[in-house]
Amino acid sequence: MSAAGNTPGACDPPALRLSGITAGYERRSPVLRDVSLTVRKGEAVGLLGPSGCGKSTLARVAALLHRPWAGTVHLAGQPARGWRYRAPRAQRTFAGVVFQQPRTAADPRLTLHALIAEPLRATGRAVEATDRVGRLADAVGLGPELLTRRPHEVSDGQLQRACVARALVLDPGLLVCDEMTAMLDASTTAALVTVVEDYRARTGAALLAVGHDRTLLERWCDRTVEAAGLGAPDERSRTPRARETTPAGTPASGT
Amino acid sequence: MNQAQTTTAPGPKTATEPGPAPSAEPLLSVTGLTVRFRMRAGRQVAAVTDVSFGLAPGECLALVGESGCGKSVLASALLGLLPGNARTDGSALLHARGGQPRLDLLTADEPTLARTVRGRRVGLVPQSPAGHLTPVRTVRAQLTETVRELRGLRGPELAAATVAAAERAAFPADHLDRYPHELSGGLAQRAATALALVGDAPVLLADEPTTGLDRALVDRTVDELRGHTADGRGLLIITHDLAAAERIADRVAVMYAGRLVELAPAARFFGTPGPRHPYARGLLEALPERAFTPIPGMPPELDALPAGCAFAPRCPRADERCATRPEPDDGLACHHPLVPAGTASEETHA
Amino acid sequence: MNATRTVRVYTSVGLVAAVVLAVVFVPLLFPVDEQAVDMAHKLQAPSLAHPFGTDDVGRDVLLRCVYGLRVSLLVGVVAALASTVIGTAVGAASAAAGGRGDRLVMRVVDVFSSVPHLLLGIFIVAMFRPGVWPVVVSVGLTHWLSTARIVRAEVLSLRSRPFVDAAISGGASRLRVAVRHLTPAVLPQAGLAAVLMVPHAIWHESALSFLGLGLPTHRASLGNMIQDARGTLLAGDWWPTLFPGLFLIVPTLAIAGLAGVWRERINPRRRSELML
Repeated sequence: MSAAGNTPGACDPPALRLSGITAGYERRSPVLRDVSLTVRKGEAVGLLGPSGCGKSTLARVAALLHRPWAGTVHLAGQPARGWRYRAPRAQRTFAGVVFQQPRTAADPRLTLHALIAEPLRATGRAVEATDRVGRLADAVGLGPELLTRRPHEVSDGQLQRACVARALVLDPGLLVCDEMTAMLDASTTAALVTVVEDYRARTGAALLAVGHDRTLLERWCDRTVEAAGLGAPDERSRTPRARETTPAGTPASGT
Repeated sequence: MNQAQTTTAPGPKTATEPGPAPSAEPLLSVTGLTVRFRMRAGRQVAAVTDVSFGLAPGECLALVGESGCGKSVLASALLGLLPGNARTDGSALLHARGGQPRLDLLTADEPTLARTVRGRRVGLVPQSPAGHLTPVRTVRAQLTETVRELRGLRGPELAAATVAAAERAAFPADHLDRYPHELSGGLAQRAATALALVGDAPVLLADEPTTGLDRALVDRTVDELRGHTADGRGLLIITHDLAAAERIADRVAVMYAGRLVELAPAARFFGTPGPRHPYARGLLEALPERAFTPIPGMPPELDALPAGCAFAPRCPRADERCATRPEPDDGLACHHPLVPAGTASEETHA
Repeated sequence: MNATRTVRVYTSVGLVAAVVLAVVFVPLLFPVDEQAVDMAHKLQAPSLAHPFGTDDVGRDVLLRCVYGLRVSLLVGVVAALASTVIGTAVGAASAAAGGRGDRLVMRVVDVFSSVPHLLLGIFIVAMFRPGVWPVVVSVGLTHWLSTARIVRAEVLSLRSRPFVDAAISGGASRLRVAVRHLTPAVLPQAGLAAVLMVPHAIWHESALSFLGLGLPTHRASLGNMIQDARGTLLAGDWWPTLFPGLFLIVPTLAIAGLAGVWRERINPRRRSELML
C-alpha cells in the first residue's frame, strides 16, 4: 500500500533532508544530538522509537515548528530560512502535519468544516474552501452533518479524520504524521492510513511517519528507521532536574 | 436472553500455569445494562444498551470497540460515576464475597459507593495515570494516604504496608519519593495500579490503561495487570488495542454502537475459527498484521441509531433480515454469523 | 444541585435587572432634586412617605441610595471596562513579546501590585479636582494588574498548544493566530475578570468617597452617604447608614452570583459531560 511505485527521480532533490540536527527544550539536555535523516521524493519513511526518545521533536523540526540548536533542514532542496512564524509561508505549508492527539490539535471553537478550511483561509484561498473541504471530507469519510459540529461533539476518531483532511487541504509535498493513530482503534487507523496513501499515490508526496508501533510502520512505509540509531540519546534521564530548571515551565518530555 | 454460558469462566489460559478453578459464582454479573443520556432539545443518547456479561474470579475479560462506542460510559456506570443527566437500567450485581453483601452497583447510593465499593470492591486502573495522580504530592504520600484510608494502618506498619503496596504493582521503592511528573509513562501507570490494588478489591477495572504507551510498555503493563488475577481477582479491561486484548484476555466482548455484538473465548476469537460477527471480523482484519483494510463507513451516532442491526449499513453480509435487530444468543448478536453457531458453542461449553 | 443552580441564576439575574431598572427609571419617574435640603424633615425614621427614612439634612435616603448607586455603577462599569482593556492588552502583548520584554512588563506589574490599590488610588485622585472621572481613572489604572496576569498566563498556555502548531503549519500569520485562535480563547476569561471587577470598583469608589477623596461631598454616592451618616449612627439613627450599606452589598452579591454561573459555563470540564 505504499507509494513506492512512483519511482523517485534520482536527480530530484529529496523532499526532506535533516542534517546534524541537535535540538531540545532545556539547554543542558538536548533531546536529539546530531541527527541526520533523508526522505526522498515520494518515499515513505517510518521513524520508530520508544516514548521520550525525541522522535516527535524531530518531526516538529522537520515541519519547521521547533527551532533546532544546530543543523540544517532542507525541504524540497531549499534550506529552511526560519522557524515557526518566521518560516516563509511556502516552506511551512510544504509539510502537512498530523498530531497524536486530535483533541489538543484542534481549536475547540471551530466547526470541523472551519477546521479543515482554516489553512485555505490563512493563505488567502478561502474561495476554494467549499469545494475542497467537501471533497476531502468525503475522502476521510466525514458526512455533511458532522462538518457542522465542534470538536467536543465528535469522537476522537472523527476528529482525527478532520485533522488529516486539514493536513491535506493545501496539497503538501511532505506529510509528517506524529503518532497519528496512537489514540485510534484498528479500523480508523487503517482508514486514515488508506487516506494518506491514496493522497500520496495521487500526488507523489513524501511521508515521515513517527510512531512506536513497528508492525504498523513496517506495513505502512517503504523503510523504517530506529530513532535510537540516528544519534538520539539512548535513554533520557528523568530526574528531578527537570523540576528545578523549569519551576512552572514547559514539560521536559519531547513526546 | 440466554447468557448463562457466557458467565462461565473459561479454562486456564496457558497449560503450564493453571488458573483458579472456574467458580459457579461470578464476582460481577451485569444484566441488561442500559445507559441513556438526556441532552438538550429532547435529544437522547443511547450510550449503552442491554449489555450483559459476567466476570469470574481469576478471569480477564477484554471489552473492545471503536472510540465512542460506549465502552467508557459502561466503565463509569459500574463505578457510579455517571453525570447527572444519565439514566441507567438493568443491573450490575457485585456478588457477596468475604463478608461483603451482594450489591447492585447501579442502584447503590453515593455514600455506599464511596465508602464500600470504589477502591475496596472495585479497583480502577485509570486511562491517564498522570491525571489520576495528584501532581503536587509524592507517590509515597498518595499511596500512604490510600493505605491508611482503606486498611486503617498506622505508624511503622503503615510505612511497611506502603512499600509492600508499591511492590505489588512492581513500582520501584526508590522512586516512591518522586512526584508524578518525574515518572515515565510506565512507572506512572504502575503507581496508579498500586493505588488501585491497595484495597484488595476482587474486581479490577482498567479503562484504556495503555493509551499513549509504546508497544513494549503496553505489553509489560497488561502482563502486570493480568498477573493480578492469579489470586482470584477478576479483571475487566476496556481497550481499543486488540493486540493487548489478545495478549491477556480469556474472553473478548466486542461492543458496537452501545451493544455487545459478540462475546467469545479469546483463543477462538483471535485464533481459529475466528470471530463470528462481521464487525468483529472487520476490526481484526483492519490490524496491520492482518489485511490492514478498514471497515467502510463510520459507526452510527448514538443519538440516531437505526431500528435494525446498527452495523448493517457497513456490513458486507447485510440483507433485508438485518432491518430487524438480532437478539443476542449464545454470545452473538447477528443474523449472518461468519462461523456456524454449532462449532462455536461446542467450544464455549467445553 | 441543578435546582439550586437554577435558583442562583434567577436570583442573580433578577437582582441585577432590578438594580439596572432602578438606577435607570427611578430618576426618570421621580425627577426631584436629590440634593435638596429640607431641615423640617431631618432624620425621620423609615415610614410610608420615606421608606428608608431621611438623613440629617432631610433628604430622602431611598432616593439618594438610588442616585448613589447610579453613580457608583457608572464608575464601577467604566473603571472595570477600562482596567480589563488595559490588562488584556498588556497581558497579551507581554506574552506575545516573550523573553526580555515579557520579563520587564511582568516586573513592572509586580512593582505596582506591591503597592496597596487604595494607596495608589488615593495618590491618583489627589492629583485632580474631586469628580467622577478622577475616580474612574484612579480605579481603572490600579486594577488592570490581575487581569494582565490572568490573560498573560492564558495566552502563554495556549501558545504552546498543538492547535497553534497546526495553524502555523497551515500558513497562518502571527496576527491571524492571535486574532482567530488566541483572542476568542482568552475573551471569556477577560470578560469574567471584567464582571468580577465591577463590584470591586464600586467598593473602591465608595472607599475613596468615604475618605473624602472621591466624589464631591454634596453628590449622592454610596460612599459619601455612609460617610455623612457616621455621626447620626452614634445617636441611634441607623437608617442613613444601613440602607446605603445594603445598596453596596446587594449588587455585589448579584454580580458575583452571575460571574459564578459564567465561570461554570466556560469551564471546559462541563463540556465532557457526555464522556464519549
